Amino acid sequence: MTLRPDSVAELAAFISDAASARRALRLVGRGTWLDADEAVRDAEPLALTAFDGVIEYEPGDLTITVGAATTLAELDAVTAAHHQWCPLAPWGGDTGSVGATISTATSGPFSHALGLPRDLVLGLECVDGTGKVLRPGGRVVKNVAGFDLVRLMTGAWGTLGAITRVSLRLRARPAADETWHLPLDATRADEVQQELRRSMTPPIACELVREDQLSGAIADGLLVRLAGNAAVVAAGRADLQRRADARAADGALWTTLREHAPSRVPRRPRSPAVQALNREVKHAFDPAGVLNPGILQ
Amino acid sequence: MSLAASLRAIVGDTHVLDRPAELLVYESDGLPGYQRTPSVAVFPGTADEALAVVRTLARAGVPFVPRGAGTGLSGGALADGAVLLGLNRLKRIIAIDPVRRVARVEPGVVNVTLTKAATPFGLHYAPDPSSQTACTIGGNLAENAGGPHCLKYGVTLNHVVAAKVALPDGTVVELDSDDGGYDLLGAFVGSEGCFGVALELTVKLTPNPERIVTLLADFTSIDDAAQTVSAIIAAGILPAALEMMDQATVGAVEASIYAAGYPTDAAAVLLVEVDGATVGLDDDVQGVDGICRAHGARDVRIATEPAARARLWQGRKKAFGAMGRLAPHLVVQDAVVPRTKLPALLARIAAIGDENQVRVCNVFHAGDGNLHPNIPYNANDRDEAARVHVAMRQIMQACIDAGGTITGEHGVGLDKLPYMDALFTPDTLDGMCRLRDVFDPLRRANPGKVVPVRYCRERRPATATTDGGRRTDDR
Amino acid sequence: MSSLAAPVVPRHLATPLADARAGLDACVHCGFCLQACPTYLALEDENDSPRGRLVLMRAALEGRVSLDDPDVATHLSRCLGCRGCESACPSGVPYGHLLEAAREQLSSTRPLPVVARLILWVFARPAVLRVALWFGRLARDSGIAAELARLPGRFGFPFAMLASTARESAPQWTPRRASVTRGTVATLDGCVMEGLFTGVNRATERVLAENGYSLCDAPGQQCCGALHVHAGDAATARTLAKANIAAFEASGAQFVASNSAGCGAMMKEYGQLLADDSAWRERARAFSAKVRDASELLAAAGPRPGAPLPGEITYDAPCHLEHAQKLSAPPLQVLAAIPALRHTVLDDREQCCGSAGIFNLIEPNVSERVLAAKMRCITATGAPVVATGNPGCLMQIGAGLVREGRGAVARHPVELLDASYARQER
Repeated sequence: MTLRPDSVAELAAFISDAASARRALRLVGRGTWLDADEAVRDAEPLALTAFDGVIEYEPGDLTITVGAATTLAELDAVTAAHHQWCPLAPWGGDTGSVGATISTATSGPFSHALGLPRDLVLGLECVDGTGKVLRPGGRVVKNVAGFDLVRLMTGAWGTLGAITRVSLRLRARPAADETWHLPLDATRADEVQQELRRSMTPPIACELVREDQLSGAIADGLLVRLAGNAAVVAAGRADLQRRADARAADGALWTTLREHAPSRVPRRPRSPAVQALNREVKHAFDPAGVLNPGILQ
Repeated sequence: MSLAASLRAIVGDTHVLDRPAELLVYESDGLPGYQRTPSVAVFPGTADEALAVVRTLARAGVPFVPRGAGTGLSGGALADGAVLLGLNRLKRIIAIDPVRRVARVEPGVVNVTLTKAATPFGLHYAPDPSSQTACTIGGNLAENAGGPHCLKYGVTLNHVVAAKVALPDGTVVELDSDDGGYDLLGAFVGSEGCFGVALELTVKLTPNPERIVTLLADFTSIDDAAQTVSAIIAAGILPAALEMMDQATVGAVEASIYAAGYPTDAAAVLLVEVDGATVGLDDDVQGVDGICRAHGARDVRIATEPAARARLWQGRKKAFGAMGRLAPHLVVQDAVVPRTKLPALLARIAAIGDENQVRVCNVFHAGDGNLHPNIPYNANDRDEAARVHVAMRQIMQACIDAGGTITGEHGVGLDKLPYMDALFTPDTLDGMCRLRDVFDPLRRANPGKVVPVRYCRERRPATATTDGGRRTDDR
Repeated sequence: MSSLAAPVVPRHLATPLADARAGLDACVHCGFCLQACPTYLALEDENDSPRGRLVLMRAALEGRVSLDDPDVATHLSRCLGCRGCESACPSGVPYGHLLEAAREQLSSTRPLPVVARLILWVFARPAVLRVALWFGRLARDSGIAAELARLPGRFGFPFAMLASTARESAPQWTPRRASVTRGTVATLDGCVMEGLFTGVNRATERVLAENGYSLCDAPGQQCCGALHVHAGDAATARTLAKANIAAFEASGAQFVASNSAGCGAMMKEYGQLLADDSAWRERARAFSAKVRDASELLAAAGPRPGAPLPGEITYDAPCHLEHAQKLSAPPLQVLAAIPALRHTVLDDREQCCGSAGIFNLIEPNVSERVLAAKMRCITATGAPVVATGNPGCLMQIGAGLVREGRGAVARHPVELLDASYARQER
């Protein structure tokens, strides 16, 4: 049976009870990365769907605070209304939740140029494995107050706390925004990708694509997104056309590309010393080991 | 053997100080309002020596405080009876990889020295605190330092790729952003010396922009200047830096040797820098120019030549020091508010200044909403000192009430401790203590900083230490 | 918060340091001076930095330590007095004056090293000084100095300094008759300049004349007193200053020119040195206003370009030009007037070379480490000639070059301009 807390207080009580009873919990947002690790399947599902929707959005600040279960599609729609966007856009598409994206630190095609999840999250609220509500960080773009539990929770795969709300950095939508496809063989595509990323006006996304991966939507090569003011984009376009037989492509391909990407899998640290530190972190925030057991451990 | 003698055996006689007169200068960092006397100061010359020192201190169970160049502005490097571990001698740039665009450095490398070394490759180290000619990369890591250009390029956190760290118990761990598991590198950056000592850092180098243009706009109303800041960002222009100085600050700068030709009669000046590829840059320059004028700028000066740009920047970068001219003492604050709250906050700060009869000089990273309200005063005047104290508290509370934070780049250290519980819940502060206890269960590294002690409840050392895993080094 | 209130400072009797209190208060402890300080870079301890020394001075003033505490005295005497920190200081801390005040106060309780006292004694006595310099020239011209320069460490170094002052015979030429006159100038001979760099003094007179200045004599002039002030002996310095003011007043010259950065900086500060002496205050101020570095006068005149002097040089900025007199451009303008002379920019050229008056003789270990850093930068340029406009720097770098052994030499910028003029058709 799935637990469905309606409030942070109720969530805290559920987790606290589970910890006392040493009953394992499996955190569920929109359920899109459930299968990422077999180990959590036996645990009792704890649905975070109640933590949904925009909590605070002041477009002039270029920041937004949303419930963790808010979908990426909704985040995109809300910000688009103000000509803004959040470049999280993780691999996996827009049906997943913001909370899961932060929990798994899943990057996307724009991460290389515009920041990884750890660079975009400003603050969050979560309930740790002891049932305590933590609210580290804030909603301002620069903040060094206190030890960084925000970075700790980002990419912790829900093993240290259940994230209930997230504050994110936004960007103004660029004046010009174009997607181009460069049909290239794999080796050449790789070279051009490196060159473009190191150019003076790097594209905001530049991904290798394979025909089979996109169900035949486009041929093998590079998918490139140029953004900025009109002059920058025009120069970028000319540069692409010099390098290959560049063709204008549909911006929606980015969503398709993301949806076809394999899910991110949790990785354990390499060295024994760091593994030991990880175990201690887990112990400090989830001493009963009830949150998403097995992952990262 | 005494502790000092053991330390001398590691680093040599001249690099251990324990006589009172020689410890005086190490009583303060960049915030001389605080003075705490260390018991011993030790300055290792190599990473191996530093590790041996950390292990010796661990064996002796002695608290210690890491220190870079002592330019911090939150009293973070003060050692009250603890051992001061100076890392300024670890100043080797180990390698610069121009292809991968990274540098491996020791913690004592001075920020601007790294940029200088990267210049032949067309690269630079992007985080540029105003103290960059003096502060160290290790100190930057500990404080998660920012700087004017982090508006576009990000703060230290965004530029550190890996760190080899000596934990307070002497264990060496390699924290790497590429590694699996928790983001312990992210947690370590900004931990203010409480999680251990970075012995070696790998940081990103950023390509130098093709072209840089600096604009100086002057306003007769501070409110107009603040509105301009939001308007520029809202227009989708991401300047490399967007700085604001009020009239009091401009006056101090212009009276110093770094006079930059700022108009002293302006209520506020904005320093805006746009950089990047030559193509398209003029569009942004015109955009900024137009927005400034539309919001009431009296004049907009545009500098493209390095000498002219450097002059405009010089005043901004040396503003804190220039305020030293106004009065014998100076409090430096560092709060952040949501950008749209800037106009209201600046008005509130002015009112607080008037109410308490203190002179507030504002010089800050406006694009980030990162305020630096500074108050020059005479500490020998007890009444004035008390009024300054009240004004500071009120300013910080106003920033918290506006949804902001108490420090954007200087760190909490000792100075911001009293504001932590106005910002965070007791449970959140307890969570921070738990994270610290993972790295330093005995709380020996930079004790008494960042989180007020009363929120760090006594708890048994984490049981996981009993598995002995921490005894294994990463090297 | 208790931290905001400063301890109450006991008002001691007026001492040089107490009088300078306002300057100390200007320091905000920002640390920008650290990287500008040669002794901090060499010794890596903040006690050997401007910020550290200011803390020691303040502590002494507040009665927390005694100024003659061996630790305090050591760090204060290790300062080169290069004032590089003043250029980096955003608060305008008058570090040089504070140091002099502290040393003056210190000298009353703690005598200087014997070597220092001997040197200062000699410099205050023209007749003795002339004899000493005569012996110096003898040792140099006989080749003995060059031989003794091979001795290791601190024994050989003074002889390397002496050996480096050797010159081949100076070019002989007569300045053309100026079409315009830019004013009358009396030059300070300078103890070391006239004693060991006689040719440079004559060259200075020629190039000034070539650029439209009329030279006049100022008999009765003495040592400028800089060495004495830096060592804390302000009393002797005041006596010397008065003698010089009188001598130059009698010359009637519009300008007092010096080709020694240290002497020029000192004479520009006579006004301050004698500020408390009501009989001399105004005369000293008027005198200081007339003082110019030779390069300033030349730069004001253009200077007139000479004949091509093909070669490569690098330029090291003497601290007392760069930091004390804030003259960065004039020496470069002098060098730029020499066609075909290629100038490789010296890294950290604004950093002290470690000479600092007699510092290299009384603190040889620190001086050597500071010089080592300078030599690394010089060697990296590969230039066979290092131009610098101060006798101390010429001898310090000169000695470094003698010991380096690649045949490079240190020369005064004016010497190079003189050589360029000498090649012109007349």
